[in-house]
Amino acid sequence: MVRAVQAGFAKYFPDRKAILVNSDGGSKDGTMDVVEKLVIEDFQPFLISQRENLLSKIVTPYHGIPGKGSAFRTIFQVAKELKVKACAVVDSDLRSITPEWIDLLIRPVLDRDFDFVSPYYLRHKYDGTITNSIVYPVTRALYGKHIRQPIGGDFGFSGRLAEFYLTKDVWESDVARFGIDIWMTTTAVANDFKVCQSFLGAKIHAAKDPSSDLSAMLTQVVSALFMLMEEYPDKWKAVRATDPVPLFGFQFSVGLEPIKVNLERMISMFRLGITELGAILQEIVSPETFAGLEEAAKGSAFSLSDELWSRLIFDYALACHRKTMSAAHILKTLTPLYLGKVASLVQDMAESSADEVEARLEDLCGAYEKLKPYLIEKWQ
Amino acid sequence: MENVFIDPFKRFIEKIAGFLPNLLTGAILIVVGFISAWIVRTIVTKTVQFLKIDRLSDRVGLGQILLRGGIRDPFSRLIGKAAYWIILISFIIMGLDALQIPAVEKLLSEFWLYLPNVIVATVIIMAGYLLGNFLGRAALIASVNAGVAIAGLLGKFVKFTVFIMAATMALELLGIGEETVLIAFAIVFGGVVLAISIAFGFGARDIARDYLDKMLREKKDEDDISHI
Repeated sequence: MVRAVQAGFAKYFPDRKAILVNSDGGSKDGTMDVVEKLVIEDFQPFLISQRENLLSKIVTPYHGIPGKGSAFRTIFQVAKELKVKACAVVDSDLRSITPEWIDLLIRPVLDRDFDFVSPYYLRHKYDGTITNSIVYPVTRALYGKHIRQPIGGDFGFSGRLAEFYLTKDVWESDVARFGIDIWMTTTAVANDFKVCQSFLGAKIHAAKDPSSDLSAMLTQVVSALFMLMEEYPDKWKAVRATDPVPLFGFQFSVGLEPIKVNLERMISMFRLGITELGAILQEIVSPETFAGLEEAAKGSAFSLSDELWSRLIFDYALACHRKTMSAAHILKTLTPLYLGKVASLVQDMAESSADEVEARLEDLCGAYEKLKPYLIEKWQ
Repeated sequence: MENVFIDPFKRFIEKIAGFLPNLLTGAILIVVGFISAWIVRTIVTKTVQFLKIDRLSDRVGLGQILLRGGIRDPFSRLIGKAAYWIILISFIIMGLDALQIPAVEKLLSEFWLYLPNVIVATVIIMAGYLLGNFLGRAALIASVNAGVAIAGLLGKFVKFTVFIMAATMALELLGIGEETVLIAFAIVFGGVVLAISIAFGFGARDIARDYLDKMLREKKDEDDISHI
């Protein structure tokens, strides 16, 4: 990753001053040493002949609450102090990053005056299901911008936006621990910064942490999304239409690794959730939504319609807003229902091409947008 | 002959005359108690309503818990009623104390000694009920998310265990069958655990084996989907 960033700056910004910041959370695996010592001696293999300014490095542990948000805060502070024009952040465990990513994340800011560059990845049709079924359609319906990967994790932004982020009083909240990605995207959109997307190709991470818990992950992402709804109610209530945002980069397609899916397990988890959590769900969702869920659980041909799913997510947002019960309890009951929706989408998209999958997600986004008046009406 | 009838009568009249001021004081205290309790109830209820505690109690789930317990009054009215009864009972006790009857005084001193235990026991029972509901619900949701088929049973087990522990503590505090309650709880709790162990070990070993097989198989059959 460090080599890709160095090559990226050398190739695409040879005449610019650049600095690489490793905001470290106290890693014990020697990451700081590696970042500090790794230098590309010979740029010839990359067909780069000229490098006017060497890449400087800052390797520093961050302070504050442990989490990605606190690490980003350090980067924003460095950007502010150095009065940088453009900045890019990338996940350290990326395996598919290329030098082109640096160009794609930074050039829209430098040459086109954009403030925020969101990533656009090439992903397997079954991947990114929390993004596809909840975060993307909700963000789009609420704030009116078609940002395909609002929690992508790799962003470009202007120095002006970095300074603006620092003015927000969120660094002792959950944003510091998790939810920084959706917070950055929503803050940029809701405060009318100029936003675009860059096509980065495939996104491949290091092997998945076996201890990562879907329920905890889903709870964190959705709670951050709902927390931002509380922050900008006037903004999202006023949005009546949605618009595409500019997309840069050459779009290509490649064959992706097949993904193993256990449909039977997902559907049985959904049914278990409806049977065992029925009493709690009735306190969270509307009677109409609950009736739909029961109907879906009983049916032999399993399916969760887009209309039912979008109403369910809005009911969850309303339940958290009204504090019907502990927010952690509300959000954790979403896990089996989410698995039901994933199973339903996997069934729908089993034979679909990439374009057909995007068309299918457009239908889902349409369902959310159609139901937005329902959310506004119920939101007190 | 005159002394035989007149003297006891005189003494009776003297006693009544001596007791009357106490009776009057007691009666006045009780009447003042009724009025004070009514005023305090009104003030407390209005203040709690003004502070929007009713909405807060609904938000934290207290309203629903009371509803499930058959109490339909809003939280503000309950607080007002509690204040009313505390004031009234205090004045009644002061009124009875003013009578200066030895038997009543003895009863009252015992009541005062016991009252803190009653209050603490009530608080323990209420806290146990709330905590049992919360932890039971947390256990139920966690079990469902882990795909445990007997999630409902686990949730109920946690809920009732917490509540029974609270009830045991409360009864022990009140001195009701101290040892008996504790021993009974230990026997029942231990018995349940032993019964489950034996059932799993002998009677339901096939079910246990199938369950563990299924758990291990499902671990192997997990998805490769990257959800984020």
